[in-house]
Amino acid sequence: MNRKTSTAKIWTIIRHEYTTKVKSKGFIISTILGPLILLALIAIPIIVTMLSMGESEKKIAIIDNSGRNIGHKLFSIDTTKYLLTNSSLSELRNQLLNRVIDGYFFIPEDITTRSKITIYTRGGGGIAFIAKIEKNLSRIIRHERLSEAGLDPNFIDMADKGIEVQTEKLTEEGSKKDYAEVFAGVGYFLGFMIYMMMFMYGSLVMRSVIEEKANRIIEVIASSAKPFEIMFGKVVGIGAVGLTQVIVWVVLSLGILSLVGPVASMIAPSPDTFTAGMPIDGREASFMQNFEIPEISIWLILGFIFYFLSGYFIYSTLFAAVGSAVDQEADAQQLMTPITLPIIIPILFIGSVISNPDGVLAVVLSLIPFFSPILMIVRVAATDVPLWQILSSVLLMISTFLGCLWVAAKIYRTGILMYGKKPSFKDIFKWVKLAK
Amino acid sequence: MFALRIEGIKKSFGEYNAVKNVSFSVEKGKVYGLLGPNGAGKTTTIRMITNILIPDEGNIYIFDEPAGPIHQNIIGYLPEERGLYKKLKVIEQLVYFAQLKGMNSFDAKKKAREWLNKLDAGSWENKKIQELSKGMQQKVQFISTVLHEPDILIFDEPFSGFDPINTEILKKIILDLKDMGKTIVLSTHIMEQAEQLCDDICLINKGSIVLDGSIREVKSNYGRDLIIIEFEGDDSFINDFSNLKFINRTKNRIEFRFTDGQFFVNDFLQKAIQSVQLYKFELSEPSLNEIFIDTVTKQELNQ
Repeated sequence: MNRKTSTAKIWTIIRHEYTTKVKSKGFIISTILGPLILLALIAIPIIVTMLSMGESEKKIAIIDNSGRNIGHKLFSIDTTKYLLTNSSLSELRNQLLNRVIDGYFFIPEDITTRSKITIYTRGGGGIAFIAKIEKNLSRIIRHERLSEAGLDPNFIDMADKGIEVQTEKLTEEGSKKDYAEVFAGVGYFLGFMIYMMMFMYGSLVMRSVIEEKANRIIEVIASSAKPFEIMFGKVVGIGAVGLTQVIVWVVLSLGILSLVGPVASMIAPSPDTFTAGMPIDGREASFMQNFEIPEISIWLILGFIFYFLSGYFIYSTLFAAVGSAVDQEADAQQLMTPITLPIIIPILFIGSVISNPDGVLAVVLSLIPFFSPILMIVRVAATDVPLWQILSSVLLMISTFLGCLWVAAKIYRTGILMYGKKPSFKDIFKWVKLAK
Repeated sequence: MFALRIEGIKKSFGEYNAVKNVSFSVEKGKVYGLLGPNGAGKTTTIRMITNILIPDEGNIYIFDEPAGPIHQNIIGYLPEERGLYKKLKVIEQLVYFAQLKGMNSFDAKKKAREWLNKLDAGSWENKKIQELSKGMQQKVQFISTVLHEPDILIFDEPFSGFDPINTEILKKIILDLKDMGKTIVLSTHIMEQAEQLCDDICLINKGSIVLDGSIREVKSNYGRDLIIIEFEGDDSFINDFSNLKFINRTKNRIEFRFTDGQFFVNDFLQKAIQSVQLYKFELSEPSLNEIFIDTVTKQELNQ
């Protein structure tokens, strides 16, 4: 007699789920497209910046009536943008309308006592463009006012000099340049990825369960294996598909990043040309200046994989349970609400967790097993999470997974054979209670 | 030796008692007919045999062992509602189902090809299920039931969706399987098929067995009291008899029974000979179909 063990059957199911899904067009396309989209996300801003560099500057005409050379001082900040003129206002008006210039303004004699002046443009032009003029002009006016008040110009320069804050991260290996902002961005990105992938793979499990039920395949399979084996095999098989995709993505992305970094800093213009072109804050300059990629630690990658998998396992069992309870996908909406809510809620908190990753709120939320997959990876990326918190979240998530598996298996066992009436939450609760 | 022994199984779903009390035994190498109207509890009974459902009460023995998951591998089950993965190729489909029944993929592939060729379907091997016609899909489903060479085969309405030619091919295969010593449980509505194929039958109605035994026994218990006559002429003499129940009445052929159960055959014959030209007179046993309808309606009336 042919007696195949239970584990052998689970393996057969895992293999079946894995190979059929990995061979599907959808999987192959999204696996390759993912890193390409990442590449585009990095490349497009660089390309746009470079393209806009070549763009002709906007011309602003200045009529200086102040008698203090303010117009000239502005002109010397940016000789391509500003234009000193003696033309009359009506002439400038025509020039503006005929697109010879992009804007003009008049500097009155009493400029130092005024709090407002007016620039005429054709409209539009962007806030940044106006802000730049405002910044340039304010600085000059401030100098004028201070020297009018009798302050020594050297003193003024000294007082005007700001200070740039640079951060260094201290670790056991010594101090490194800190990329706090970059890592916050990375945390945001990883949290969002886990969110999307839990949804994607969770609904894949659900659809796969519904397919077997709607096409009455389940009756044949259920006469060959236990419902638990079928559900568990499916969840693990599709999870392995997700893991494959993540690994391919990580490898391809690291490859792309290691190529993009040096190439980008080669192509990108030197900081000098930036400051000459547009006087900007030191911070912006230093960000643009080096496209060097901060070192992404292996722990972050492992953490990402772990939190994705544990999140997937918790939610996919519940998705499987919902799939088993309905006859078609359209009926699943209402039953999905209690699953989708705890996936979505952490997204609402990502912002506050990133801004204060070590705060009480962040710690508590990230330890709730249903929120952990998203919020813990955000914290792991953004800060140094204490080991006890990581371990607690691991333990909590594993026990939550076992609990979900236990409940889902009961729902699944009854659900797969129920056709017709769409069950209510009450019915499902009864299935759990009555299942032996 | 009994391949399958069922003792007083019961199954309810909430308030609804799908199977109230079902017991029967199937001898090894026999074809057993599980008959009954829709909703009688046949499918629920089959699901308990295949270990899809667990009975609330009662026991099922397979080759004298209490039935469990371990026996799923020696059962082949063709459900009434057929189900295949639409996007899988025929061969992948067959191999997967056979693997779930414990076969290794090499043997499964070999056997699948053998069966496909046997059913004139060798060229479909790499077609996806969704490209096949309904009848072709039925063949694939049938193959998936027998591929792993199970000792017990359960066919739920196996001929639905097959044309007459393929139905004959399938009947022959079922009888071949029987000759190979396989035990077969056949659930069907179509009584002629049951009469042709089954050794023993049971009739389930409303969750209980109302009739069982070999076809011979069932029929003889019912009595040889059906009268069939064929004639030419004026049939008005028949109106002289008030104790007749007509089973089937046409101009030249009448099937009937005496309602009081007594045989006034001689009387009747005399009258008939005087009145019409008689071609045929037969004292016949009832068809399974008639027994089926009669038993079910009687039970309905009693309630």
